[in-house]
Amino acid sequence: MRDFIYEDGWGAFVVLLFFHIPFLIFFCRIVYKKAFVNTGPSGTAPEKYPKIEIMWISTVAVLFILVNVLSVVYMPPVSTAALTKSGTPFQEVDITAKSWYYDMSSREVEVGVPVKFSAKSGDTVHGFSVYHPDGRIVFTMMLMPGMESPTTLVHTFEEPGEYKVRCLEYCGIVHHAMQDLLVVR
Amino acid sequence: MSTAAKMIQGTPVLGKMFKVNGNDDLASINAWPSLIIMTSFVWLAIALLLGVSMPIIQYFGLNIFLFEFYTALTLHGAAMTFPFAFSLMVGVSLHRAGACMGKKADGPLVVLYYIFMNIGGLLFTLSVLAGFKITYTVMFPLPVVGAQMGVWPMWSVVLGFTGIALILVSMIILYPIQILQMIFWGKKHDELELSPRTLNDPGMLGMLIAVLVLLVSGLPLIVTASSVLLYLYGIFPAAWIGWAVTPVVFQFVFYIFAHNLMESMAIMIVSAVYGTLPLYLADGTRKLYSDKLANAALWILLITSVTSFFHHFYTMFPALPSTFSFHGNVMSWGTGIGGAFTIFTILATIWKHGLRPEPGVMMILAGFVIYCLDGVTAMIIGNVAMSYHLHGTLWVGGHAMTVLLAMSLMWMGVLYHHYPVLTNRNPDADKCRQSYRMYFIGGVGMMYTFMAGGAMGIPRRISNWVESGYMGIGVFILIFGLILSYGISMFFVTLSKSREITT
Repeated sequence: MRDFIYEDGWGAFVVLLFFHIPFLIFFCRIVYKKAFVNTGPSGTAPEKYPKIEIMWISTVAVLFILVNVLSVVYMPPVSTAALTKSGTPFQEVDITAKSWYYDMSSREVEVGVPVKFSAKSGDTVHGFSVYHPDGRIVFTMMLMPGMESPTTLVHTFEEPGEYKVRCLEYCGIVHHAMQDLLVVR
Repeated sequence: MSTAAKMIQGTPVLGKMFKVNGNDDLASINAWPSLIIMTSFVWLAIALLLGVSMPIIQYFGLNIFLFEFYTALTLHGAAMTFPFAFSLMVGVSLHRAGACMGKKADGPLVVLYYIFMNIGGLLFTLSVLAGFKITYTVMFPLPVVGAQMGVWPMWSVVLGFTGIALILVSMIILYPIQILQMIFWGKKHDELELSPRTLNDPGMLGMLIAVLVLLVSGLPLIVTASSVLLYLYGIFPAAWIGWAVTPVVFQFVFYIFAHNLMESMAIMIVSAVYGTLPLYLADGTRKLYSDKLANAALWILLITSVTSFFHHFYTMFPALPSTFSFHGNVMSWGTGIGGAFTIFTILATIWKHGLRPEPGVMMILAGFVIYCLDGVTAMIIGNVAMSYHLHGTLWVGGHAMTVLLAMSLMWMGVLYHHYPVLTNRNPDADKCRQSYRMYFIGGVGMMYTFMAGGAMGIPRRISNWVESGYMGIGVFILIFGLILSYGISMFFVTLSKSREITT
């Protein structure tokens, strides 16, 4: 479940609905009731409001903290730093993005072995985004030209297949065609 | 009769909706704001047509003049954000500030704002028509790279940057200084003070915070963009502007401003909601549940939103160190706490005192609901882990679009509230109800469609939806876009069917 939430765009969509649905019900119900059903002053005792206020803010804060704390292990900077420090051997792929193609040191990587992607841009802002064969985004990187060190990310592919590479940062009139392929064997 | 009143009177169709009595006592808080609002709606009409045209362009693979995807995309985004949404806010807030402070809203800064914003918008439009397709986020150094590659002419870059500079000066310098002048200085005129407020009122405090955010977060961009522009004019030698054309410098100062522009507009509209909602309470209380809580929400929004801009750069690790990513993550979700305070204040106020469901306030509340829904989409991409799967997709484009739609709907509600004073006419209530209902359905539908597109991994700003198999989402965007357009058209009808107030 956590993998789905933090590693799949649809997981993020589920989190969105998790917050949206109760909010919509709650907000619309109160407005409807007090604007169309009974517009008179409420009978709620004044001393109850601060209690409800604390309960509401606490619930929101707890939910926010929970969603974010559970996400820490899925944050690529965290996993990248941990893998780099651990001394685990990994494959390296160096990428230079230019309008509108990628120079890649290798287009084939091994399944189950961590791959360190180091990407730079040679002209304008580009993206380097890897798509799973099922269409979801495995990860995306933003590449800004003129940076001293490349944008870096370590990822371990669990499934073999042909992974599409796309630019997700608008880079001019052929942006849509800036695509490549990464084969995981 | 003032120049502004004459210009409104001379404008076909829209002139009738925004006609002010140039000779009455309130002309100095009505005429220029009314002209600014009227012109913003002209830009809205352009943005709307371009927005609806985009899925059609995709479907038919059009590539002619305006009907070319990247041309429509760049102009749609720019028109929607700056001369429409921002100017609508400026027009209504100038009127509000004038009526709350008893100060004139027709000085040279207001006139210059109007000229700079609209001439800037026109110059940028001309540059885009000349081939300068950079999207409204500039994507520096794309403007220069495109010219070097021969994709667009260098003169279009100079023209485009001139337009951008005029727009930036109007937003970052002219408007904030005008509001500061009205809050702190300037002669007070008792006859203009229709609804006295002080800085202790959340409705005014938010206005002050918002313009300070614009001024402070925008000044670095003014310095950087001016340096580049002076080089393009041949006034500065290349050696002087090396620092400014470093992509990371330009794009960081751009995003610090662009991000805070949205935050500032959000704080401004939340304060306008705080100012307007109490006027529609059923028991006639005219007070929020708690001014303290409302002010606390504004301060929390200010503190958290200003530095949450790091979320634009999470996927640049390690160029953006992890610590800044984590900070951006915490602050992005911190804005949600400010939002939770605001939601509580609004609901507790309504619950305690009841609500008169008049179209203006219902429009504001409908916009507020969209604003809160959009806030969650922003927080999700503000989470580092989820951002790595969504950044650069339709999710992000959908968030930018939805926050503008939400704020615009709220401002249209505030405009509905102020309209009788602005024009001495009452707008058509029934048409307004139809308007915000359709706008709400269209806006929320568009939001979920974009978010679903993002979840599917559809890149934002690509012109080959059909070949990529994404046209299904395009069809939904078109359907909800048409519903939204109908809602906006009904708002124009609301104003055009307004009736003169006779005493």
